[in-house]
This record gives sequence, structure tokens and C-alpha cells, in this order.
Amino acid sequence: MTVSKPILLAEDNPRDAELALAAMEEHHLADKVILCHDGAEVLDYLYCRGHFKTRLQGNPAVVLLDLKMPKVDGLEVLRTIKNDAALRPIPVVMLTSSREERDLAESYALGANAYVVKPVEFHQFLKAVKELGVFWGMINEPPPEGASRTTGRST
Amino acid sequence: MDESNRHPPADVGLDSPLPASTQADATPHRASFLTPLFQTFQKRSIEQRVLAGFGLVFAGILVISAISYRNMTVLIRNGHLDQRSHEFIQFLGATGEAIDDAENGHRRFLVTGDESYLASYHSLRERTPEYIRYLRELTDPDSPQRAHVSELEQLINQQLQEERAAIELRAKTGFDSVRGMALTGVAKAALEGARRLQAQMDQEETKALAQRVFESTTTTRSSIILLTIGALLLFVLLAAVYYLIRHDITERRRIADELQRRGELLEAANKELEAFSYSVSHDLRAPLRHIDGYASLLAKAASISLDDKAKRYLQTISESATRMGQLIDDLLVFSRMGRQEMLRGTVNLNQLIASLRHDLRHDLQDRAISWTIAQLPNVTGDAAMLRQVFMNLIANAIKFTGTRPQATIEIGCLDNGPDEAVLFVRDNGVGFDMRYANKLFGVFQRLHRADEFEGTGIGLANVRRIIHRHGGKTWAEGVLGEGATFYVSLPRVRPSA
Repeated sequence: MTVSKPILLAEDNPRDAELALAAMEEHHLADKVILCHDGAEVLDYLYCRGHFKTRLQGNPAVVLLDLKMPKVDGLEVLRTIKNDAALRPIPVVMLTSSREERDLAESYALGANAYVVKPVEFHQFLKAVKELGVFWGMINEPPPEGASRTTGRST
Repeated sequence: MDESNRHPPADVGLDSPLPASTQADATPHRASFLTPLFQTFQKRSIEQRVLAGFGLVFAGILVISAISYRNMTVLIRNGHLDQRSHEFIQFLGATGEAIDDAENGHRRFLVTGDESYLASYHSLRERTPEYIRYLRELTDPDSPQRAHVSELEQLINQQLQEERAAIELRAKTGFDSVRGMALTGVAKAALEGARRLQAQMDQEETKALAQRVFESTTTTRSSIILLTIGALLLFVLLAAVYYLIRHDITERRRIADELQRRGELLEAANKELEAFSYSVSHDLRAPLRHIDGYASLLAKAASISLDDKAKRYLQTISESATRMGQLIDDLLVFSRMGRQEMLRGTVNLNQLIASLRHDLRHDLQDRAISWTIAQLPNVTGDAAMLRQVFMNLIANAIKFTGTRPQATIEIGCLDNGPDEAVLFVRDNGVGFDMRYANKLFGVFQRLHRADEFEGTGIGLANVRRIIHRHGGKTWAEGVLGEGATFYVSLPRVRPSA
């Protein structure tokens, strides 16, 4: 159960971020979380550029994506990830307030691995974030590093 | 400001009666008898107006044609009569000459005894019947001219008879016995009569001829005037009909444009509404989540130092936030119900109810409910939406029978003709006061306090919206403390379809 890969959380709202981190804290996952404040930062992280130029190589265990974010929104980030052979294996979970049908449909059409609506009730929110962190950060086996590259070559 | 505000009403008060009175004065003078006609015309549809216009044009053409035909006939008849009159006058002249020739010839014979002079006399004798027949043919029966012809015939015959007597006498007894006759002429009276008559007939025929020429000229002139006026009237009528049609087309085009514009506006409004509900869904929920989240975090962080009262306050904050979240969700569902595209199909209500009961079975484990479910018809509609309808109705029935030790829920169908099915859900729950029946289906309208029965009050509003979109109706009957029945009507599936 050693967790080496980080959890990338894209959340523009600092309060939501704080609450999410509080939830992760319960399972001591908070230090694994890398917080991005908008879509552009997520892409910077994934492509190791800008602020994340000097970070350690490797993809995150999962990307928790909010839909509505400044600069580059969640769907745009998702599209970029799923269109890039090197990034495509990264699990992407939409974590959003929207229960709108078209958001759901579009997210899955673009290749989202899961779609979670943030519950209003904090205990449920806590539970949802915790379960996400535990599942994607600990239970789920992430794609091997380099698998993407072979896929990239073959396609 | 105050003065300028006071002025306009005074102006309006002075102005408004004036145009009304002038109008009332002006119109009856000019078109008192046309006004009702115009009003009836105004009430007709455009088709009827155009038809009336073309009818008038057609009638006008008919009238003009009829009058023209009549005038033409008169002209042609007059032409024939003129020709006849000319012939008549000619023959009359010829007859007169023949009479004179015969008279002259017979007097020469009486003097000379030379029989060659009798040629013209014989000729008149032979040809008189012919002349008379011709003249008679050229007159109308029972006309004065016809009588004159007969009179003339008599006079000629008299003349011929007297001349013949004189000729015979000359042949027998010689010149001396007829000397006097030869000098004066035998049939002087008859001859003069014939001449006078002939002149009179000539004059009369000439007069009739002139009369007819005058008549023809008048007819021709009136024809020309009539045709000109008729053509002008028809032109005006056609122009009016053209104006009507054109006006109608313009009007229709304007309405079509207007409709299109409104359709676009409606579409824009719908899009805006969608964007609105999207942002409600996304942005309004976040602060609520934070309220509940931070209240919970606070409760946890300060759990030791907080007394029970403070904990209850925090609890209430959390609950209120959660409830508002629920309200927002309900409102969004309600809004979506109105916009969502309907997928119409045949819905088997028996299966639908069975599957609903299956889904609810876990919630009903500790409840004693006796179900009575009739055989239900198939209806036309959106299966998912109708599922929501019956889910709401059944959930309500379950909820409001919660205080009953033995709940009874009945689902049935009333027979209401071949086109419509009326379905009902009846329970023996707390019921409601019929005075508030009209409030039941309103958004967030509740007839019970929140601590009696939970819920936001959106369920029946959704039911009504969905049923309305299916073209049906919703209503309810209830007795406080005894139970309630909720009815929905839906289009039935025809067995043939």
C-alpha cells in the first residue's frame, strides 16, 4: 500500500480545496495532494512546465477535475489529457457541483473515468472525497510509467 | 416636476373628447348608409372579401355584357329596318312613277289611238300586285304603313279600272267620245289620292328612318359611355381586390416575420434559462457546501469547548444549508422537466407500477400497507417522466399514510372514453382540506408543517408539469383525516395504433 504517486486536485475555489484537503487528512492522504487552482496549472503540471518545470517526472495517480475553472475549464483539460497519448492512461475523475446531463454526457464522451457530484452535505462530501482518495490513491493500481509511451508509439 | 406631472392628465382630459366628437360628426354625414355595409365587410374574412370583390367584378362584367348585347341587337335591328325603309321608299317612288307613266300613256292613247302608248298602262296593270306585295313585305303587319299600302292598292286599282273603261270606250267609239277624258284624265280623284298617299307614306317612312338614326346614335353613345364607366368601375374594383390581397399578403408576411422573431426570442430565452439553471446548479451549491462544511469542521474542532446549545446551533446551520441544497436540486429538476425533450412512446403502466413498487420495497419493510392495483391501460407518453409522476404520487401516498397502523393504497383507472385514461392513486392517509386543493400542485406549496411530514413540496408540481406536457390534467380530492385521491388524465393508446 505504498503510495508513491501524487493525487492531482484541480479546484479553483480555495474553500472547496480546504474542505477536500480536510477530508483527505482523515486518511493521511493530504500530503499526497497537489493542488492546482485552474485548468492551465493542471496542464502545466502534466507537461512539467511553468511553475512545475522542476518537478519530479511521472504522472499522477489520478486527476480530480472540477468542471468550472478559470482560464482552462475542466472539460478542456480532460480533452487535452485524453487526446495526448502520453497522458491518456491517467485516470481522470470529474469532481463537480454540476448534475447537468450535458456535463455528464460530455465528460464521459471525452473519456472521463468517473464522475462525482460534490454533495452539499459535508459528511457526504467528506465521505466522497475520502473514498475517492482511498480508491484512486491506494486501492487502484495506476498505469505503469512508460505504458503510455509504448501506446504512443504504436498509435 | 410637480407641475409638469399635473399637466398631462389635464391635456388628455381636454383632448380626448374632441377627436371622438369630430369623428362622430364626420362619418355619418358622408357615409351613413355605407357605414353598416363597411362594418359587415370588415367582419368578413379575407377569403370572403376577395370572393365578394371578384363576385362584384363578375357581376359588373355580366351587366355590361347584357347591356352591350341589348344595344347591339337594337343597332342591328335598326340597321335592318333602315335598309327596309330605304327599299320601301325606293319602291314607293318606283310605284309613283309607274302610276304617272300609266296615266300619261293612256291619255296619249286616248288622243292618238296608238296602242304602243298603252305599254306603260299594261305594265302597271301587270306589275301592281308585285309592287303592292313588295311594299307590303317591307312593312310591319298592323302598322299604319301596311294600311296605307292596302289603301294605295285600292286607289291604283280604281285608277286602272277607270282608265280601262276609258280605253275600251275609245276603242269602240273613237276619239270624240273621249275627248274630254283625254284632256282632263279619267281617274283624276284616284290619281291624286294615290299621289297624296304616296307622298304621305314617303314622308312617314323618312321620318321613321330619321327617328331610328337618332335612336341608333343615342344607343351607340350610351353604349360607349356605359362601357367606359363600367370599365372604370371594374378597374377600381379590381384595384380594390388587388389592394386587399396585397394587404393580406403583407400582413401575413409581417405576422410570419413576427412569429419567427418571437421564436428566436423564445429560443434565446430558453438558452438563457438553461445557462441560468446551469450556473445555479454549479455556483449556488458551492457556498452551501462551504456553510455545512465549515460548520461541521467547527463543531469538530471546538467539540470540547462547545455546550449543547452551541452544538445545536451549528447543527441547525448545517441542516439549513442541506435543506437549501435540496430545494435547489428540486427546483432544477422542476425546471428541467419543463424543458427536457419528450420521448413519446407507448407506456405500459402495469409494468411501470410494478417496477416502482419493487424499487420501494426496502423502504416499506416496516410498514403495513395493503395495495389494491387495478389492471391499467397503456398510455402514450415519455416513460421516464411518467415514472416520475407515479413515483411522486405513490411516495406521497406512502408518506401521508405513515401515521396509519394499516395503510391502504389503491391505484386504479376510471373509464373516460377511448381517447383518455384517468388514473388515480388513493390512500387512507391524513388527507387534506378541499379548500386548499388548488394549492396542492403549486411549486413548494405544502399543506403540512415540515415537522409533520418531510419534503420540499416540489413533487406534485412536477406531476402537474409532466401531465400538462402530455396534454392531460391533474386534480385531487381529499377529506381531512380520511384520505386523498390524486387523479391524472393521459392520452390513451388506441388499440389499432
